[in-house]
Amino acid sequence: MSRAGWTPWLLGATLLGCPAAPKDEAGRPAVEKTAAVDRAERRAYDGAPPVIPHPNLGAECVGCHHPRGVQIEGLGYAPPSPHEKTSGLSERSRCTQCHLFRQSDELFRSNQFAGLSQNLQKGERLYDGAPPVIPHDVLMRENCAACHDGPAAREVIRTPHPERVRCRQCHLAVSREGTTLAGPAR
Amino acid sequence: MERRGFLKILGATGGALAFSNTELTPEAQAQGVREKDLRWGKAPCRYCGTGCGVEVGVKDGRVMAVRGDAAASVNKGLLCAKGYHLPAMLYGEDRLKQPMRRGADGSLQPLSWDQALDLIAQKYKEALAEGGPESVGMYGSGQWTIFDGYAATKWMRGGLRSNNLDPNARLCMSSAVSGFMTQFGSDEPMGCYDDFELGDDFVLWGNNMAEMHPVLFSRILENKRSRPGTRIVELATRRTPTSDYADLYVEFKPGSDLAIANGILHLLFAKKKVATAFIDENVVVKRGIEDLKTIGYGCYDEQAERYTFEDKAEPATWKDVESFLADYSPAKVQELSGVPPAQLEALAELYGNPGRGTVSLWCMGVNQHVRGTWMNNLITDLHLVTGKIGRPGANPFSLTGQPSACGTAREVGTLSNRLPADRVVTNPEHRAEAEKIWNLAPGTIPAKPGHHAVDLFRAFMRSEVKVLWIQTTNPAVTLPNLARFDRKPGDGRFLIVSDIYPTPTTDLADLILPSAAWVEREGMFGNSERRTQHWHQQVPPPGEAKEDAWQIIQVAKKMGMGSLFPWPEDAWHEPMFEEYRKFGLGNGKDLASYKQLEETRGLRWPVVDGKETRYRYAAGHDPYVKKKAGVHFYRAKGNGEKAAFWIRPYHPPAESPDQEYPFWLTTGRVLEHWHSGSMTRRVKQLHQAVPRAYVELNRVDATELGINPGDKVRLKSRRGVLELVAEIDGRGRPPRGTVFVPFFDEGLLVNRLTLDAMDNISKEPDYKKCAVRIERVS
Ligand code: SF4
Repeated sequence: MSRAGWTPWLLGATLLGCPAAPKDEAGRPAVEKTAAVDRAERRAYDGAPPVIPHPNLGAECVGCHHPRGVQIEGLGYAPPSPHEKTSGLSERSRCTQCHLFRQSDELFRSNQFAGLSQNLQKGERLYDGAPPVIPHDVLMRENCAACHDGPAAREVIRTPHPERVRCRQCHLAVSREGTTLAGPAR
Repeated sequence: MERRGFLKILGATGGALAFSNTELTPEAQAQGVREKDLRWGKAPCRYCGTGCGVEVGVKDGRVMAVRGDAAASVNKGLLCAKGYHLPAMLYGEDRLKQPMRRGADGSLQPLSWDQALDLIAQKYKEALAEGGPESVGMYGSGQWTIFDGYAATKWMRGGLRSNNLDPNARLCMSSAVSGFMTQFGSDEPMGCYDDFELGDDFVLWGNNMAEMHPVLFSRILENKRSRPGTRIVELATRRTPTSDYADLYVEFKPGSDLAIANGILHLLFAKKKVATAFIDENVVVKRGIEDLKTIGYGCYDEQAERYTFEDKAEPATWKDVESFLADYSPAKVQELSGVPPAQLEALAELYGNPGRGTVSLWCMGVNQHVRGTWMNNLITDLHLVTGKIGRPGANPFSLTGQPSACGTAREVGTLSNRLPADRVVTNPEHRAEAEKIWNLAPGTIPAKPGHHAVDLFRAFMRSEVKVLWIQTTNPAVTLPNLARFDRKPGDGRFLIVSDIYPTPTTDLADLILPSAAWVEREGMFGNSERRTQHWHQQVPPPGEAKEDAWQIIQVAKKMGMGSLFPWPEDAWHEPMFEEYRKFGLGNGKDLASYKQLEETRGLRWPVVDGKETRYRYAAGHDPYVKKKAGVHFYRAKGNGEKAAFWIRPYHPPAESPDQEYPFWLTTGRVLEHWHSGSMTRRVKQLHQAVPRAYVELNRVDATELGINPGDKVRLKSRRGVLELVAEIDGRGRPPRGTVFVPFFDEGLLVNRLTLDAMDNISKEPDYKKCAVRIERVS
């Protein structure tokens, strides 16, 4: 079984009974495409906390989403939390404070909100061979390994050197630019 | 039916979003937009009293994202699910975009702002001419910005000469106001959020903080994680997500918190755990009216139409306190509350331990209580007798529900008896000071307090109040005992409603005005920790929507009262705020300047010489305290600048379960929805997480009644009936004999069941305790 076959996106599709995932010509799930579509589908806008892609299993979230993650036979891989090292968001914190279950497919009223679209761009490098700059916000995503290592990591973003645990020693984080404190809207 | 007609009109006139400047759909416009393409501005969250800082990402006049503001000390970058989903709140398809008047056949017809404003002015003028200032009213909100509340109070009291102005904060915070006023002569807490890191023991009185103030609860959890030994003690009438984190969970019978607090005081005195030197220096004793018959509950007999009880303070002594507390032995408290003596001892040990910083926290459980002011008094009493007050990490701290319950309802003073900065209409000096700042002839502001919220609507139903204007709130969902307020538009009274979406309240309106929301206008909110936060307008409002303060100013101008608002049409926010600020300068309620607030993530008043105050009344923190050490309650002028300890007895709830109605019904919020749900239910992710109201049952009760999870259940009270789906062992787990229903669902109105009994002093209704019967339907 390929590593990609364990992705949590597929876990979500399986558990939620989502519309069938796109397939390639050989009938295998087109994993990368599915992952990107699912990733976007689960967020109100890029940067919003994703909704939970599986039903409420009545268990503590960290029971499966613990530092090593859990492989669930036939379902997929529950990755660790990217917030593991975030102050105030550790272990016994309240995941459902931000991550919502989906109990219904209905809308109360339709809504015309269109949010920031998904940004899966690569990090820039100063020169060939330089360590790429982190291309996304890192606030509350201090545990890089949650997405960049282990079975949940998609091929394109998997670190080639998981043994070097201090990622930000070499990979710089982009700062949040442009927050304006004063002055009326333009 | 009515709603459908409404939508049709919107469809016909609204069309494409008026603020999109191209032919493209919003989704097409959003394609390919990246984080760096947005302009980011600061604002506080629109929802709860926590007041988290958010960064608002804008492009082409639309909010496309928010981020938790890492530079905001309240939340340090974290938000809750409601906060993260703020942008979508603005874009529900049925946003109100133009004024509409209801015709004789009930249908809604659009009209211009000019026509709408003329109509309002005419209705108010007619009512004033016929019935005088008592026949007009306005009902506002703790979700009003400071500008809205200030415009409203100045217009109502200074223009219409009426005190019939009250906010929905009457339904949520007024018991805290009367608690602080009776004890310190000044409203709002002495402590601040820094206590979440500095405290050792957190005592939650009927406060489901994990859901209602999630980001603040995260701060406590982090304290607990990083400083082992930090404890959470929860006193509650049902288990909630908060209970999962409690080191000690104390379950009590609804309403018996009064007995528990007195029981703790009893033990503190019996065990000589009282900080004698502190109370000698800083505390006096008072006693009010305690006779149950005299006080009543404001909902039965002759009190059911007008409830005007007034407390009378008598001085008392510590000897009186000790003999009064003799009645609250652990055995007696157990009888009243069900709390075992060992738990009461543990609580007394905790409060009485001078080595530990104790923070008491409370919100609606204590405030929405037929003796809510008394409960506020008693919790503060615990801190006064132990000297755990005005110290970093040791304070009584009242949490607020709404984003500007403090800033607008309490500080601006939009309650029917209040004027800005702790002043009251019954005090001639206070009225004179307001008249001076407002440049009004002496005697303009009436001395008689107006109707409080529930009585304002009772008076409207009696046609004593003929014209009523509601802004930023949804009383047709949130008032207690709703059947009392059923009305058909066109009944001779005139109801104006300003809102951003159609609601059950706009269904009752004769005239509907479209409001600008959150960052569609400039605003300021004041959160629970005395922090005033400013934001600039970041996007244009949809259609012809206008901010609430603008609506009030324009009506005032139409009525010939334009001199109340003498500022340029395009630059009135700053001068209005600077005028308002005069009320607090030099008397301990000093707000920061407009300019300073523009540039910061909010500041906690009193702000003197540009510096905020973390701990009020505390030497070394509060610039008004000249002492070298300790505290000085300098605002309590009536008590020789000392705080008041109040003797307050136990009284039973207004209605308790009996054979016919054997269950307690308690109501409240859930994390995902804000208030009456008119905003959060229009956000897909929030609605889909909690799509409708439900009833939480105890598993054993459910088994006995043959009810399974998901079954339909009929709830019946003396006032109404409601059918709901049963939830068992979900996020809330009530004890036997209690059920809980959230109030956010306009389709399943639990307030048709609740009782309009209220606190004797604050006139805040008790939404937490009434009796119901339960049957399985299917
Ligand atoms: S709802 Fe309250 S806790 Fe949640 S983000 Fe807004 S202010 Fe913060």
